[in-house]
Amino acid sequence: MLRYAALKTGRALFVVWAAFTLTFVLLFVLPANPEDLLFDPTELNTIPEEVREQVAANYGFDEPVVVQYFQRLGHALAGDFGNSVQSGKPVTEAVLGVLPSTLILSAGALALAALIAYAIALTATSTRRPWLRNLVESLPSAAVSVPVFLSGILLLQVFAFRLGWFPAFGSDGPASLVLPLVTLAIPVSGPIAQLLVRRFTAELESGYVTTSRAKGATRDQIVKGDVFRNASLPALTITGVTFGNLIAGSVITETVFAREGIGRLTQTAINTLDVPLVQGIVVLVAASFALINLAVDLVYPLLDPRLRATLAAATA
Amino acid sequence: MSELSKSIESAEKAKPKWPWAAGAAALVLIAGVAWFGATRAAGEDDAGAQSSEPVSGGTLEFALIDYQRSPDPQWGTNYAESTIGNNITDKLTWQDPDTGEITPWLAESWEYNDDLTEFTFHLRDDVTFSDGTPFDSEVVKANFDQYVHGDEALGINPNGAQLLSGYIETLTPDPYTAVVRFEHPLASFLQASSFTANAQPGFLSLSTLALSAEERTDPTKIIGTGPFVYESWEEQVKTVLVKREGYDWSPPALGHDGEAYLDRIVFNTIPEASVRTGSLVSGELDATLDVGTTDEQPLKDQGFEIISRGVSGTSIFFNLNSSLFPTNDIAVRKAIQLGWNREAIEDTVLTDSYSIADSVLAPSVQGHADYSDSVLRYDPDEANRLLDEAGWTVGDDGIRVKDGKRLEVKLLGINNLVVNKPAYESIQQDLKAIGIDLQLTVVPIPDYTAAFATAATDWNVVAANRSRNDPAVLNLLYGPTLGNASYVTADSTGVDAAEVTEVLGKLETTLDPALRDEYAKAAQDLLLEKYALVSPVYNPSQVIAHADYVHGIVFDAQSRNHFVDAWKGNGK
Repeated sequence: MLRYAALKTGRALFVVWAAFTLTFVLLFVLPANPEDLLFDPTELNTIPEEVREQVAANYGFDEPVVVQYFQRLGHALAGDFGNSVQSGKPVTEAVLGVLPSTLILSAGALALAALIAYAIALTATSTRRPWLRNLVESLPSAAVSVPVFLSGILLLQVFAFRLGWFPAFGSDGPASLVLPLVTLAIPVSGPIAQLLVRRFTAELESGYVTTSRAKGATRDQIVKGDVFRNASLPALTITGVTFGNLIAGSVITETVFAREGIGRLTQTAINTLDVPLVQGIVVLVAASFALINLAVDLVYPLLDPRLRATLAAATA
Repeated sequence: MSELSKSIESAEKAKPKWPWAAGAAALVLIAGVAWFGATRAAGEDDAGAQSSEPVSGGTLEFALIDYQRSPDPQWGTNYAESTIGNNITDKLTWQDPDTGEITPWLAESWEYNDDLTEFTFHLRDDVTFSDGTPFDSEVVKANFDQYVHGDEALGINPNGAQLLSGYIETLTPDPYTAVVRFEHPLASFLQASSFTANAQPGFLSLSTLALSAEERTDPTKIIGTGPFVYESWEEQVKTVLVKREGYDWSPPALGHDGEAYLDRIVFNTIPEASVRTGSLVSGELDATLDVGTTDEQPLKDQGFEIISRGVSGTSIFFNLNSSLFPTNDIAVRKAIQLGWNREAIEDTVLTDSYSIADSVLAPSVQGHADYSDSVLRYDPDEANRLLDEAGWTVGDDGIRVKDGKRLEVKLLGINNLVVNKPAYESIQQDLKAIGIDLQLTVVPIPDYTAAFATAATDWNVVAANRSRNDPAVLNLLYGPTLGNASYVTADSTGVDAAEVTEVLGKLETTLDPALRDEYAKAAQDLLLEKYALVSPVYNPSQVIAHADYVHGIVFDAQSRNHFVDAWKGNGK
């Protein structure tokens, strides 16, 4: 068990380091000079060379790339990612400043997505009407097929511009969270619902259900008591994977609804080759990704006795 | 990803059940929303109390596409930064947007020596910063010194090094006299003292100048003399300004006395065009900048007012690389000027807020001359004749060839303005008809910046513009020892580099209006007619749509907005 945990932790650390290094390489392989992006693009040809050099020196871009890498890596290990080139804000502050907004959005969307997914799966499983089941089972594919961008604009048209129930932009107050939350939850709920529906159907046909039924359990009891728990395990895993979808979806959601957040911060940081900021964000995202997967991997043996047994056998 | 999750993901795949049901569900959704959209109420019922007398009070909800990277107004490359900077700081002078004349602001009067290397400004003595400290010549000196040289210890860039090139020092003979000295004649400095576009010389308090770049991200520490002060700044979301109590020194030319009318302005950053216009229509916004060309008419029809001003400086131009094949051939350059239909772009791409360029200088710039009957006209026959004469013969695919080389012209442009790409595509079509293969690379700013690094050797045409309401912008841009945007070198066939240097350089040597007009004309003649170094395309514009109860939004000489005189009829 200890070896299993150490292995998984080591892998998580490697992922974070690799993400840091890869972004650094990518940012420097790109043909643009980061200091050029600090100037008005239409003024590029009239910037005196000494001004360009002074600006580059201001951010350490004049050092050899290898030196820059190890300097940044050293500082990053100490938790210091430097200051954003574009705003001058410390990277940690910039990231932590918008992180809560993205976290609330993602966590809320994930919770809502899970709720939708369970509602779909339970309805599809419990109902005896084939037409309803078919309709409900088709919802996940529909949810995945609608692009976040489109559903966001549609929701805005109806609930913000026409009905005026919610603000169309900004991050003030809980009301401004509703539309982005729904927009983001729709595509995320799709894969979870699809998996749940599949698992529920599969579990319903398994041996222990037949046993329960033979012992006189009602369909409701079986679904709630046995199937629900067993079918939920894989959903937990896919929730970990869904984190990636959430981050990607948040870029678009935050842009459409003009909210502050990690997604938008990342987009502009990449567009402006804001090296320290991009690295700060990438390390944060990679670390969260690794942590969530690590947590899922570590929690799994606790939930699944079969895996616990395999691990025990392996270490024995 | 764990092996488990992989195995689960690759587990059995259920057959899609009733796939048409998914499609039907999506259709129902779209149809429903379309119905909502179609029945959407047009216009607004409560337009607010109308009155012709300015009303004090209220909050203006404003939207734009850009956001302020940092609250420091001397450091900026976009419209949000310059516009907000203009409302929290003041400049030495104010350029009249209609006449281009430089008029008093923080400086009541000024004089300069005959060489145009020394400018003496006599400052107002009643101006204070919002922290109560006085505005005087020491402040001017400290600002210009840091603006030009930057401050490495504080992490401040030399933001004004370009604008104030050759700056030596500022002398302060007395508290209200500032003498600015330059190494060489710099006629354009007088206009630079009023400059309101990116990286502008707006005055900050001495306490602000002592702050590092990091400390300047706290907006409440950014102290200016302007009609508004910072309340808050949320990066990428919004900047809130509130009225400065006791402000009484707006440019006399504006005819506004005392404080601003509005209590607050909220600059909302909204990247999505449909969200900006939708929010304006639903009343969540009072005004929005960055109105798309296709949104202008529908908004007008719904009772909103559209105001605009051409961006002063140059038009959107095609700078023709005079030292790279095939644009090193003057016949090719002239054919590019003549070879495209201006009316087609005017009819299909531009709205009334925009116009086709008739010179490299925008119409509002002093010394602008009209070349629409000269080289900037559509004349494919003449273009064909020039190319034939120069030995370009039409090849199998319709594209001309000379010495076995095709007439391929590579263009690099920015897609930041919606009009750019369709306009360039229209030109591409027309040029094809006369046998020129114009190849477009119209990309976002970072890609443009990256590609621009090799502009001298890789790109025949660079399409951009420059915001600077002074004819000397031509020297800055095209002067062979300065911007050299057309890459005039000894290799440029038929171009006399020394002549270009001399003719353009003269623009910096006089402030006499008649003489300046003459020099500006000579410069345009040279760039457009004689050497055909540039093919101007259209004059870009800044377009605002606002509700009918909003009044008094000012476009300045660089087409940035000032809100000191703005008010809302409903006072809310």
